[in-house]
Amino acid sequence: MDRQYEPESGPHDPPRNTDGTGGWIAPGSTSGTSGDQRSGREHLDDQQGRPSPSSWPTGEAHGAHRRTEEPGSATPTFLPPVADTGGEPAAPRSWWGEKSSNDQGGVLGAEEVHGLSPRSLVVGPINQLKSLFLPILAGLVVGGFNPWVLTATGFAVVALLIGGFVTWKTFRYEVGEERLEIRSGLIRRSRRTIPLERIRGVDVTSTLLHRILGVAVVRIEAAAGSAEGTEDGKLDAVDLAEAERLRRVLLHRKAVLMGRERQEEPARGREDTDEEAAVAEEPADDTVTYFRMPRNWYLYGALSLGYLLTPFVVLTTLFGMLQQSAGEMVTDFLLDWVSSTDRGFLLLLAVVFVGALVLLMPVFAVVSYALTHWGFSLRGRDGSLVAERGLFTRRSVTLERRRIRGYELFDNPLERTRGAVRLRAIVTGLGDTANRAVLLPIGPRARVEQVVDSALALFRARLTRHPRAALYRRLTRAVLPFVVVTVVAAASGITWVAVTAGVLAVLGVPLAVDRYRSLGHGYDGERVSVRSGSLSRGQATVERSAVIGWTWTQTLFQRRSGLADLQVTVGAGTGGYTAQDASLGESVDFAARVTPEMVRPFLVRPRGEDEGGSADRQD
Amino acid sequence: MAHLRPPLRRVSGRAIGVWTLRLVFGSLISLLLLSALAWVVGTFAWDWVPEWIRRNPWVLPAAYTVYALLKIAIVPSWRYRVHRWEVTEDVIYTRVGWISRAWQLVPVSRIQTVDHTQGWLERVFDVATLKVQTASYAGSSTIEGLDAEEARGLSEELAVRAGTLRDDAT
Repeated sequence: MDRQYEPESGPHDPPRNTDGTGGWIAPGSTSGTSGDQRSGREHLDDQQGRPSPSSWPTGEAHGAHRRTEEPGSATPTFLPPVADTGGEPAAPRSWWGEKSSNDQGGVLGAEEVHGLSPRSLVVGPINQLKSLFLPILAGLVVGGFNPWVLTATGFAVVALLIGGFVTWKTFRYEVGEERLEIRSGLIRRSRRTIPLERIRGVDVTSTLLHRILGVAVVRIEAAAGSAEGTEDGKLDAVDLAEAERLRRVLLHRKAVLMGRERQEEPARGREDTDEEAAVAEEPADDTVTYFRMPRNWYLYGALSLGYLLTPFVVLTTLFGMLQQSAGEMVTDFLLDWVSSTDRGFLLLLAVVFVGALVLLMPVFAVVSYALTHWGFSLRGRDGSLVAERGLFTRRSVTLERRRIRGYELFDNPLERTRGAVRLRAIVTGLGDTANRAVLLPIGPRARVEQVVDSALALFRARLTRHPRAALYRRLTRAVLPFVVVTVVAAASGITWVAVTAGVLAVLGVPLAVDRYRSLGHGYDGERVSVRSGSLSRGQATVERSAVIGWTWTQTLFQRRSGLADLQVTVGAGTGGYTAQDASLGESVDFAARVTPEMVRPFLVRPRGEDEGGSADRQD
Repeated sequence: MAHLRPPLRRVSGRAIGVWTLRLVFGSLISLLLLSALAWVVGTFAWDWVPEWIRRNPWVLPAAYTVYALLKIAIVPSWRYRVHRWEVTEDVIYTRVGWISRAWQLVPVSRIQTVDHTQGWLERVFDVATLKVQTASYAGSSTIEGLDAEEARGLSEELAVRAGTLRDDAT
């Protein structure tokens, strides 16, 4: 898609340079980084000896730094290049003045200052209108289209349009050699600089409306200074091709930056710059497709509790919308109808309705699941994993491999009947993991593990079972409270409470047994894995190198039976994964096997056994 | 089967004072609230309050006082016996708690921040709290009740060592 821009970038460059009257041109972007990976030959030739006017008060060093590699450039490394701009003074930069002239030619060379797609003028206001649509409609209906309401509505719409226009007009972003800059605002201006090494992921999302218009929202997630904090850059919205290009450029350039730090084949990056075509094809070269959703996998949606409940959610929303827009009328009508209709008929209707709803639950689940997971694919490219899905709203999440510390497999009892699991990545500094860390849709375990094995690395050891005392603890917890309630209620003669609690107590037994059976932890030489839970069972697997500490906690009750919770501390995902009710001694051995350097110094071995743990570890 | 030996060093003995006073203040506030409640119940004697509570409103504060006194007498010294720490070449090893216990190992190379804090009560007793944070939400380690001078030295030393040992830290 770079090829689309490329012809335009050449011919369009000179006018920008000459009429760049103190506009929005940063040296870091225009000539400087054009020496880097992305832009074409023409672009470079154009630039030679004629760097763009610097209207960059800060005089970014990196831009100039690159330029010194071009033979014609007379610019010293650390000075803002103002010398040979054809007498153009370094005018104060304007926040939005430049873009319009660039815009006619479409998007310029890769390192240009970019604005949002003009089509975001349509999307932004419509998206905002969508949330206001019902209130406005309700206002119009209730207010009987009187002039006041009409005028107010008109003003609101116009204000939205103006707001959208101002956003579009003032929003600029620019991919420098080492950083991404996003500037916006007319009155309250903001500028956000995100160093490229800090970028953790680039998400591309497009709703149906976005896709009709061929645009997408790009979210750039970056690690902030603190450990947990992340800061996002959001570009709402750019052309689809531009979104794709941005993702590639950002991640690739980041990879190059990191590579350069490690002195890894800097030459390759240069070669890439030489031919735009090569750059455009590059993703095709190293893109590996790990997974593409087979048709029958959509059926697994019927196993997901969340999706099974969708019909009810949809119904409530529908009713809520009706009520909101038509006010009391609907409720009144319903009440009238209910009170005036024959009771037997009503009962029949209700039973049929509920029955149909229950019968249709799996159907609804599959449909809504298919909508959100349509065409799920998992690919690897440029040191990242890219998961893409969705029918109307297409969402693509890019996770950097370097940040992926492991994976989690989840299943609920329903999914277990079909041997299905869900897969999520354990990623450093990733927010909204419920959506963004999803690597695969629900699928049969064998296939999921196969994908894990090819895309990441599969945990291949058996999990150690936890001591029997853990089962008793689980039984006590699941059964005892209800037994107590049953006894008390029976003593007080409240039959229904006694019966309910009694039933729950009985149900607690299989639950406790299952919870016990899911407990386990293991180590296969490279990866640590812990598993727990029943109604939502999860097995987390992390690399050995990601383990950044251990915590054992032991309550009074656990001490009696020699149990302890061992938490594996990980600088990713939820921060820690716990092996509940493991044997204290065994878990110490376990930790010592995983990270001997961390645990060994504090071990004492009774009766001089050496490495005797291996015998104990066989359960 | 091997087991973990306790960390070598105890915290400062003055930490007992801090914990005791903290418990005393906390208990006093609770006692005050409970007394106020008892007084209100005793004075207004609402109908919906069960009979025996209306008759003996001061049972609850009295019971709490006994509980608080026991706690103040037992917990701080018990805690002192459990709280231990040790900083080796590359690991910080702590044990905290009293009834429930927690052992924690944090590698020095993964330290991101070292906080050295001193509340007013801690200043009175000249002790300090050292908090070591890693990239994990769950991986921060706290040593309470260190001698203030020692804590300061330790925090500086750890910061330096974390800097030199530092790999990616995540």
